[in-house]
Amino acid sequence: MKSGIALSAQSLSASLGGRAVLHDISLNIVQGQWTSILGPNGAGKSTLLKAFAGLLPHSGSVSLLGQPIQSMPRRSRARALAWLGQNETAADDLSAWDVVMLGRLPHQAWLAPPNDKDLAAVERALRFTQAWDWRHRPLGQLSGGERQRVLLARALAVEAQVLLMDEPLANLDPPHQADWLCVVEALLMHGGTVVSVLHEITIALNANRLVVMREGRVTHHGATQDAATRDAVCQAFDKRIAIHPLNGQWVALPHIPSVNPFHPVPKDASP
Amino acid sequence: MRQRSLFWLAACAALALCTGATTVQALQVTDDQGVTLTLPKAPQRIVSLLPALTETVCALGQCQRLVGVDRYSNFPESVKKLPQVGGGLDPNIEAIVALHPDLVLAALSSRSATRLLSLGIPVFALEPKTHADVQRAIAKLSQLLEIADGQKLWREIDAGVEVAARSLPVSVRGTRVYFEVNRGPFGAGEASFIGETLTRLGVKNILPARLGPFPQINPELVVRENPDLILVGESNLEGMEQRPGWSRIRAIREHHVCVFTPTQSDVLVRPGPRLAVAARIMAQCMSDQAPRAKGLPQ
Amino acid sequence: MNVTRTGGLLAWAALVCAAVVVLGLCIGSAGFENTVGALLGPPNAERAMAQQIVWDIRLPRTLGALAAGALLGLAGALAQGLFRNPLADPYLLGSASGASLGVALALASMGSAGMLGSSVVSEASVAASVFSSSVWVRLGLTGAAFAGAVLAVMLTLSLARGVQHTLRLLLAGVIVGVVLGAVTSLVLLFSPDSLQAMQSFLLGSTSFIGWTSCLLMAVVWLLCALAAWTLARVLDGLSLGEATAQSLGLPIGPLRAALVAVLALATGTAVAQTGLIAFVGLAAPHLVRAMARVPHRQLMWLSSAMGAVLLGGADLLARWLIAPQELPVGVLTAVLGGLYLLWLMHRGSGSLGGLRT
Repeated sequence: MKSGIALSAQSLSASLGGRAVLHDISLNIVQGQWTSILGPNGAGKSTLLKAFAGLLPHSGSVSLLGQPIQSMPRRSRARALAWLGQNETAADDLSAWDVVMLGRLPHQAWLAPPNDKDLAAVERALRFTQAWDWRHRPLGQLSGGERQRVLLARALAVEAQVLLMDEPLANLDPPHQADWLCVVEALLMHGGTVVSVLHEITIALNANRLVVMREGRVTHHGATQDAATRDAVCQAFDKRIAIHPLNGQWVALPHIPSVNPFHPVPKDASP
Repeated sequence: MRQRSLFWLAACAALALCTGATTVQALQVTDDQGVTLTLPKAPQRIVSLLPALTETVCALGQCQRLVGVDRYSNFPESVKKLPQVGGGLDPNIEAIVALHPDLVLAALSSRSATRLLSLGIPVFALEPKTHADVQRAIAKLSQLLEIADGQKLWREIDAGVEVAARSLPVSVRGTRVYFEVNRGPFGAGEASFIGETLTRLGVKNILPARLGPFPQINPELVVRENPDLILVGESNLEGMEQRPGWSRIRAIREHHVCVFTPTQSDVLVRPGPRLAVAARIMAQCMSDQAPRAKGLPQ
Repeated sequence: MNVTRTGGLLAWAALVCAAVVVLGLCIGSAGFENTVGALLGPPNAERAMAQQIVWDIRLPRTLGALAAGALLGLAGALAQGLFRNPLADPYLLGSASGASLGVALALASMGSAGMLGSSVVSEASVAASVFSSSVWVRLGLTGAAFAGAVLAVMLTLSLARGVQHTLRLLLAGVIVGVVLGAVTSLVLLFSPDSLQAMQSFLLGSTSFIGWTSCLLMAVVWLLCALAAWTLARVLDGLSLGEATAQSLGLPIGPLRAALVAVLALATGTAVAQTGLIAFVGLAAPHLVRAMARVPHRQLMWLSSAMGAVLLGGADLLARWLIAPQELPVGVLTAVLGGLYLLWLMHRGSGSLGGLRT
């Protein structure tokens, strides 16, 4: 099992709209494993992911596979790192197939038509997400979940070593969430690295490693198997969740306090 | 007794009616909008919002009654010293009111009429577009200004046009002409006042009356009609030869083009008392430029 | 696959354009006449006249209208892709207002009578006005319009400080458009003789398109279409979102600047030759999308074709309906395009182009 460093951040700080969002983060993402970033709303998870993707101006340094990301030629970076963002698309006219083919842009010469490798990659990606059968339908006619699968396929088509995904499960129903987990496993088995930001904590607990964030800082980074990591997760959410083992998996459930803070009833009022 | 009082009553009534009638008829003129203006006496302080009307008032010898004009009125010279109250389409109501006029002369298309009327200022709307309109405008303004022989001015104008027509050599009559008013191209048809003048001068307009006064025409029409002479203002001349197909038009090929300076254009496009001057300008140019005038075959 | 759909649409458009050309030979100042018959008939004066009219006037005008329509259709597709807004039209960067101002200044200085309420009095002022007007005379109206359009776009770019932020670019374009429009009105106020000529510019006019204009527009369209075709991928990538496009390795900044340049060139050329023809740029991409959903690389060509059909048809009607008088072609493009769009919406696919209804 490879254990090199896929992504590395040194003293990374970033601000959005004048407000500091990330404060001096130093973090290594292990290669060949799936790392999930967790934390409450506004912790800066998406911002961190964007900074890792080289899409955000930042101070400090970010390296991709040992090379500083800012000095990498654009196309090499695009071939090595694929990004799936949140809520950005307006491409209603393009068919699913066309959208996924856009993922091959980093590999295509400027005016070249798609070659066999491109066609194969697109087909693979569409089959992975079970979107092959309706690949000619325009994006505007798809449901939310189908759209998300097409966008995921687009990111997969890049066939990059590192895949960064921000809320990839938006609009996906549980069967497709399960499919996504299989896709990630397949990617890892081929030596890829996956970093995700998920708000579905239970799904995120399937990851190999967790990065816990709070208010723009990383409070903990470690393997999911470690109890310390799981405690850090609960801590980040002010102990409002509890993590329980179930059939070899970890499940996160909301922790209901014994006294309802919105409707305090004295305990000895029960009959 | 009763008979006598009845007689006196009838006599008084008759007298009253007579004087009343004459005072009622003293100044009652209908403008082009069909509105009848009733004024107690002839207006002494007039604001004019249309250059043609300004010129008409002055031509009737009543320039001294003008207290304000629009910014485009520029003839005669004395008028330029008067306060300017904006344009015909966008007059400065406040400036007009400040001059305390007892009459405002405006075009039909002016929107200021309602506003001015509500402020108690009488508005007389005239917009001459043809020779007949000019004659009528002169008549109505003479009536308003209480000029004795209002038709004298028109007779002078008419005579002037006649003189201009006669000054044209016989050989020039019948020349086929095209008068371009503006880029578009907008031409002057037979039905316009310019067209009427051209007809009186004895030349043939390639734009017939059925097209209206100033139609926007297909430039191809001019090529097909192949006029012998083109009349155009200096500013619109630029680029005429480069228009597709126009280099073949006889008037362009053989340089039979009447070019008018901006001052001359000013006179030509105003349907007012200077119609005779306009006719003279056109006749002068055509005598020089028309092919038959130059002794060339038709 | 979309390729067959695109091919079908292009063939349809080519057919309509061919029909427009044939009809264009027959329609002129005498309404509809059998020119083709005269051309093919025995050599006599009638044939000579027909040949002259067709070659000098009708053919370049018809082809020119098609070329102008193609330019506007292309520019519309580019604008909508660049701004990712289905309501964008090619005049958004201020080029229309800039061209209007250029033309207004040219008209005002060429016809110096009545300018600023004063007439030419002394020799000195005569010399001054001749001097100032000679620049515009040399440029000619088309030059003035093109220069105005390009300068306005540059002003927009400098206001928006580059092409990075689409929203800022859009806002700057609107501001420049409004301000220059106001200045144009001011210029016209002091030069009312130009009003009539200005109106024919503002409503669009294909009356004076000769072979030079026609060929110029055709060449510029070809250049712009090729440039847009190579840049089509950027537009597709941008439609996935800016961050995604960047992650795919697209150099967004320089490519956007290139797109703006192509847009300015196409719009400036069309406006300089034919005036402000409204609606073609806005409607052509939507008409295409209502019939086939295609990525930008095919949308460029289809939108050009649709624009050509729209303007070609409008030009025919402008000449025909009240011959020998002409209707302003801009009015007809709005009516034709608007009616066609309405019919498509009524036939109803539920969503029209990028608009989800």
